Amino acid sequence: PHSGARTMLPLLLLLLAAAHGLDDLPALKAPVLANSSLGGQITTSTFVLEQPRCVFKNVPEDTVIWLVVADPSAVPDFNNSVEPGGPGREFQQFLNGSFAYMTLNTTILNYPCPKNPGDITVLRVGSETSCATDKARPTCNGPLPGPGPYQVKFLALNGSKPVAQTAWSEPITLKKAQPSGSISVLGSGHSAGMIALTSILSILFAILLAGLLAMLIWGLDASSGSSTFSKPEAVTVRRYNTHHAYDQPAARL
Amino acid sequence: MARSDDGIRILQGLLVFGNVVIGMCGIALTAECIFFVSNPHGLYPLLEATGNDDIYAAAWIGIFVGFALLALSILGIVAVIKSNRTLLLVYIILMLITYAFEMASCITAATQRDFLTPNLFLKQMLERYNKSEAVNNNDKRMTEGVTKTWDKLMLQSQCCGVQGPTDWQDYTSAFRTTHSDADYPWPRNCCVMNAQGSPINLDGCKLGVPGYYNSNGCYDAISGPMNTHAWGVAWFGFAILCWTFFVLLGTMFYWSRVEY
Repeated sequence: PHSGARTMLPLLLLLLAAAHGLDDLPALKAPVLANSSLGGQITTSTFVLEQPRCVFKNVPEDTVIWLVVADPSAVPDFNNSVEPGGPGREFQQFLNGSFAYMTLNTTILNYPCPKNPGDITVLRVGSETSCATDKARPTCNGPLPGPGPYQVKFLALNGSKPVAQTAWSEPITLKKAQPSGSISVLGSGHSAGMIALTSILSILFAILLAGLLAMLIWGLDASSGSSTFSKPEAVTVRRYNTHHAYDQPAARL
Repeated sequence: MARSDDGIRILQGLLVFGNVVIGMCGIALTAECIFFVSNPHGLYPLLEATGNDDIYAAAWIGIFVGFALLALSILGIVAVIKSNRTLLLVYIILMLITYAFEMASCITAATQRDFLTPNLFLKQMLERYNKSEAVNNNDKRMTEGVTKTWDKLMLQSQCCGVQGPTDWQDYTSAFRTTHSDADYPWPRNCCVMNAQGSPINLDGCKLGVPGYYNSNGCYDAISGPMNTHAWGVAWFGFAILCWTFFVLLGTMFYWSRVEY
């Protein structure tokens, strides 16, 4: 029974190691999106991550850091040992046969630690459009095919051996564009100013028309009313009246 | 009799003064409307493409009403001084016709201004800016007008989109069908340009780094001039019409007191 337990223990450890994806690398700090003050932090086919500065310590100088982009369904069974761009890891087949791909490879020397304060140290995922359909470039950093969500992590490879990894990021969902035809252009109704202007002008015009009507009806009736005033020449008529009676008819023109 | 004579003289004086003011306002109205019709901010193609450029029609009417007011005010002064009933009647009737036209202009300008909402320009920009296929010649002309106007606007006013660069992300557009999101998250003119007309930092612009792209929307640059235009035509016209109302009432009263 004791010898059985002794062989069981290594077997148990082996099974645990297999359950963890064949390599027992500790999970370092997960990748995060760049500062939200960047207008292009998330677009409909790209997103921007912070560079993994001061995350990979104690790795050899010729280590290459890769970015792994995966569909959340591929995260639990992700195998770190599959070659970047290998079968099941082609960018061009992403979400169409491959459910993860690796890209943005660079040596650890490009992520110096500590970073200069004030430097913008970001990685734009999805910026390479030239190789998006080029099957000869399976590690292309091409635009993402849909709004996601996606999960990413950094993987440090020395040759082809994984030496360090970060934890998986939170799921990143990209923007989804609504159709422009759905924008409603119906106005919010008429403003108060316009209503006031229309009503006041209409009332004034109505009063003027009424005045014109009154003027024509009464004015034509009372053309010889006693309250009418005489024309300016009539002032001289009065003077003529007192001196020359025969000038009166001529003055009435 | 002397008292009513004095009263009538005062009324004559007031009417002459009223007509002088109407004449000057007519000149001012014509000048203002010519200014607006000359499209100083280059935004007319945007209005034309909405299919509803009535605030320009209102400004055109304003030009002719201004001339009419000037001519009629001179007629009015002559008619009041001569106390000629026929002339006064002609003056009143022609003034009422001009009044009606100016009323139409004011109400049109005020109503159409309410129609010009941010969403209207947003939808138009998304559907027309950089549209590649045109249905007919008229459509092509309007598309080119909209594209050129937006390019100039974004460059001169340092703005992007109607509410901001996110307009290009939040909605599909004619621009998006020919320019991929990864290469052009927003049009090139949203980038801050150097003196030669190219972006000072293209990657910074695509990333959306503040200082390398225009992060504010263009709606203020569009609505400012249009508001000035519409309210200028509508409310100045309203003021003239209020003044003209009193002058016309006085003239009607004067006419009824003139004997043949």
